[in-house]
Amino acid sequence: MKAWLHQYSVVGRKIPTQEEPEPPIYRLKIFAPNVVNAKSRFWYFLRKLKRVKKSSGEILNISEIFEKKSTQVKNYGIWIRYKSRSDTINMYREYRDVTVNGAVEQMYKDMSGRHRARWSSIWVLKAMPVAAKDCRRSKVTQFHDSKIKFALPHMRPRAPLKKYNTPFKAKRPTTIVQ
Amino acid sequence: MVFKRFVEVGRVVLVTYGEHRGKLGVIVDVVDQNRVLVDGPQTGLPRHTINFKSLALTPFQVKIQHGSRTGVVRKALEEKKLMEQWKSTLWYKKLCSRENRRKLGDFERFKLMIAKKKKAAMVNGQVKKLKSHS
Amino acid sequence: MGFSPFPFSQAPLPISFNHSLVLVVDADSSSFYRIAMASTSGEVQQKGKEQVGQDKEQSARTSDKITKPKRKWYPADDEPRKRVHRKKVQKPTKLRASITPGTVLILLSGRFRGRRVIFLKQLASGLLLVTGPYSLNGVPMRRVNQRYVIATRTKVDIQSVEIPAVDDDWFKKNKKKPKTEEMTDTGKTKLPETFIKAQQSLDSQLVPLVKEVPFLKSYLCSRFSLSYGQFPHEMRF
Repeated sequence: MKAWLHQYSVVGRKIPTQEEPEPPIYRLKIFAPNVVNAKSRFWYFLRKLKRVKKSSGEILNISEIFEKKSTQVKNYGIWIRYKSRSDTINMYREYRDVTVNGAVEQMYKDMSGRHRARWSSIWVLKAMPVAAKDCRRSKVTQFHDSKIKFALPHMRPRAPLKKYNTPFKAKRPTTIVQ
Repeated sequence: MVFKRFVEVGRVVLVTYGEHRGKLGVIVDVVDQNRVLVDGPQTGLPRHTINFKSLALTPFQVKIQHGSRTGVVRKALEEKKLMEQWKSTLWYKKLCSRENRRKLGDFERFKLMIAKKKKAAMVNGQVKKLKSHS
Repeated sequence: MGFSPFPFSQAPLPISFNHSLVLVVDADSSSFYRIAMASTSGEVQQKGKEQVGQDKEQSARTSDKITKPKRKWYPADDEPRKRVHRKKVQKPTKLRASITPGTVLILLSGRFRGRRVIFLKQLASGLLLVTGPYSLNGVPMRRVNQRYVIATRTKVDIQSVEIPAVDDDWFKKNKKKPKTEEMTDTGKTKLPETFIKAQQSLDSQLVPLVKEVPFLKSYLCSRFSLSYGQFPHEMRF
């Protein structure tokens, strides 16, 4: 599956002036689909948090952050703040994935499903791997079993390619595989 | 117990959908209720997460620990001679014959049609004989 | 420089100015003009600066640059251009790599569509000379375009076969033939003897070759067709 989100590190500051020759430099880690969107998000957050606008600021550096081990399953904790219809809520959510980007993707989809929260109303405050012993959600901890074993009681046979999909079948498919 | 094949670490699986279809791999770790981490060093299946929907569980199993690295997986597969075991199954032979059928040329298809007709005639002849005797 | 007092259509002809002007007309209101300096003005200024602090030797070089003729405007009317007449030269048709003498082809159009035939050679016009052979499936020597043919992997070894000296003229219909009484009797034109003889000699050589390969004879006699669930773009031939 092609990743929807990437993690960028965006560094920027206010443009130096005579009154303020050395303005503070800010670095944000931002989850965004591309560089352009990441820069836009950077200014959105800086405007809200530090009173720095794009018109009076500059971006010093932008680079993508890659997952170190994308072949290992990890537990990710994600701290978010989201605007519900009536209030602003802080949340902590947990997901299992091999990359942070995947976990954040899961979070956005989960939030849109469970809370009808849009992309624009969610702020990712922090996203990081969490050790198994520190995990809190049973949805994640239930997989903390090195001898985990479960059957797949209902499997729909799938056409080998998308173009072979048919809306109607002549025969009722067998969904039970041993 | 009714079920014999489970999603578990070490279960050998066949990818049935997507760009890696037809490749054999091993479940290395279970990500969540939908996805597993698979690795297939012998068949060129890259180590990646994959949904159950595009997998088929095989009756084979190897002994590995969860999260084992590719080298360990390869060793476990080689020790059990898994590719040989897999190639002796009817399942594999069926896949092969399907592939061979797809590769037939026009003349071969014609010869196949004649062979099939011959076979049907023989079978039908015998059936008729048996019916007339009874 | 300055604001042009003329509407765009009546603007004075661009006589040599120091700085050439470009009028930019706003698409919405024709009464509003913006005047922009063309790039030449900037160049002139720069050259002026350069010349101040330069030696005589170097100034000779720069003066060269300045005297370079520059196009100051574009003609208002389109100049008629001379058309280059190229002679059409027909390139010889490239034979598909999958078609070689002896290849079994499936005809896709015409009276014999679906027939499997043997390819003999390519004619000067680029068309393919094929035959059934006639005595097997009724396809005489014919010309077909390779576009209307599926080439199969099956090949008959026809190296030993003497292909009659057939060219495109053989197949041209003699339109000027006067309508004789014979024609009205039979309703058909008769094939020339030479053609029939050539076909017969070709068949007598081809048929034994075909019979050598098991099932090939009945294969050539049968017609090609698609059945349910068969897609030609996914099949191999």
